[in-house]
Amino acid sequence: MTAAPPVWPLTAGGTLARRNPTVKLALLFVVSLVLVFIFDPVTPAALYLVALAAIGSSTRLAVKTMALGHVPFLAFGLGILVVNALSRPGRVLWEAGPLRVTVEGLSVGGSLALRTLVIGVLAIGFIVSTDGVALMGSLHQHARLGSRITYAVLAGYRMLQEMPREWQTIRQAHAVRAPLRPDGSLPGGLSAHGRAAYTLLVVSVRKGERMAQSLEARGLGLTPRTVWRKVPLLRADWLMAGAVILVLGGIAYLSHVLGFLEGYGALR
Amino acid sequence: MSTSSGPARARSSWSLKDLVLLVVLGVVFGFLYWVFVQAWTGLSILMGPLGDLSQHLLAGTWLLVAPIAIAIVQRPFAGVIAEVLASVIEVVFLGSAVGPLLFIAAAIQGIGSELPFAATRYRSYGWMIYALSGLLGAGLVFFYSAFRSGWYGQDLFLTRLVIHLISGVVFGGLLAKVIVDALAKTGVVDNFAIGRARLGEDQCPLNRPCCSTA
Repeated sequence: MTAAPPVWPLTAGGTLARRNPTVKLALLFVVSLVLVFIFDPVTPAALYLVALAAIGSSTRLAVKTMALGHVPFLAFGLGILVVNALSRPGRVLWEAGPLRVTVEGLSVGGSLALRTLVIGVLAIGFIVSTDGVALMGSLHQHARLGSRITYAVLAGYRMLQEMPREWQTIRQAHAVRAPLRPDGSLPGGLSAHGRAAYTLLVVSVRKGERMAQSLEARGLGLTPRTVWRKVPLLRADWLMAGAVILVLGGIAYLSHVLGFLEGYGALR
Repeated sequence: MSTSSGPARARSSWSLKDLVLLVVLGVVFGFLYWVFVQAWTGLSILMGPLGDLSQHLLAGTWLLVAPIAIAIVQRPFAGVIAEVLASVIEVVFLGSAVGPLLFIAAAIQGIGSELPFAATRYRSYGWMIYALSGLLGAGLVFFYSAFRSGWYGQDLFLTRLVIHLISGVVFGGLLAKVIVDALAKTGVVDNFAIGRARLGEDQCPLNRPCCSTA
């Protein structure tokens, strides 16, 4: 398997791209945290629809990109749904040999799968609308992340962007020198990948040491530091934060009033 | 123009070189996890209904970065910081199905992996310590994941725990030792604490200031 670049298409347009990265990250965190305590399928389903509409309209992401982005989350969610449906004791809905599907299993599994989708769609929205450099700058300005760690991570981010190419170079270099198999094909499989992974590690550690030296040569670590391009934190950011929390609370409350909301007790 | 807030803090004893190393480890392992997660998704689809169980098989690989970081840098919190950085890379730059809650899982893993090394005051790096590190790292995070993913009350709970712990010891512990020893042999980490320990203070290469104890 050759790794495709793990870089998402960044949507420059859209209102979400103009919002403050730290606020976006914090909101993503808050929503994920609240979801951990919800174990019924209806509440996350409602949240998912709202989140999908909000992310879709505020990033103007192409439907195809959005759908492709969903694939890993769908696969992950489906696995959770199936294993819960089959392995949770409760009222039996369907039975065949050792397999049995329970109502409780379906309900909890559906809830967990939908939770994955909610987090997934929000994560997609976050990643396509947030520039990594702006994020680190914002974390430095607004979340008091130390400058040394900020710039170290930024350098690492650059390294990450180059990594798919590095990986390919290493794989090709290995392929050129590799002894061919009796049938003339290249050795592949886990051991070849492991060897490439180890090479990547060694090369990167060496590169990292040079990076640290050049960062220090540029006076990193001196305080106080000034920031040239400030990442703005506007009233609109606070409005967005308020709106997200209101919607989250509103849906949870509505679900509670209608009798759908279930907490951790659903597992017993 | 604005200055960073806060007073000029006393320089922490972390050198930039060590910090960058942790970031680099986080980036490399973040990238490799990303490559292997795809493999894992394939594996979990192949395993059908048991696919959800396959995550426990590979659980230990998520622990690797902490013991490696600790062994090279040999100072407190290296494991926790490295784990959290790796999770940040994974969530923020690569996209993860777990979302930002991975930060919490990573911190718990890091603490678990770091405890055995901390207990020896970062002096002992034998097979036993690595194995313990993998066991604790996997063990601690299991109960957090069990809560988050609702594994309590499932029939498979014990099966999950056992596979998870074995994977932790093998991949998160013993494999880390293999990688660290191989890295040390190449010489790329000679300028870090592990190299000082290996070569001894006097034979410090080039006698750079970076090699003196902080």
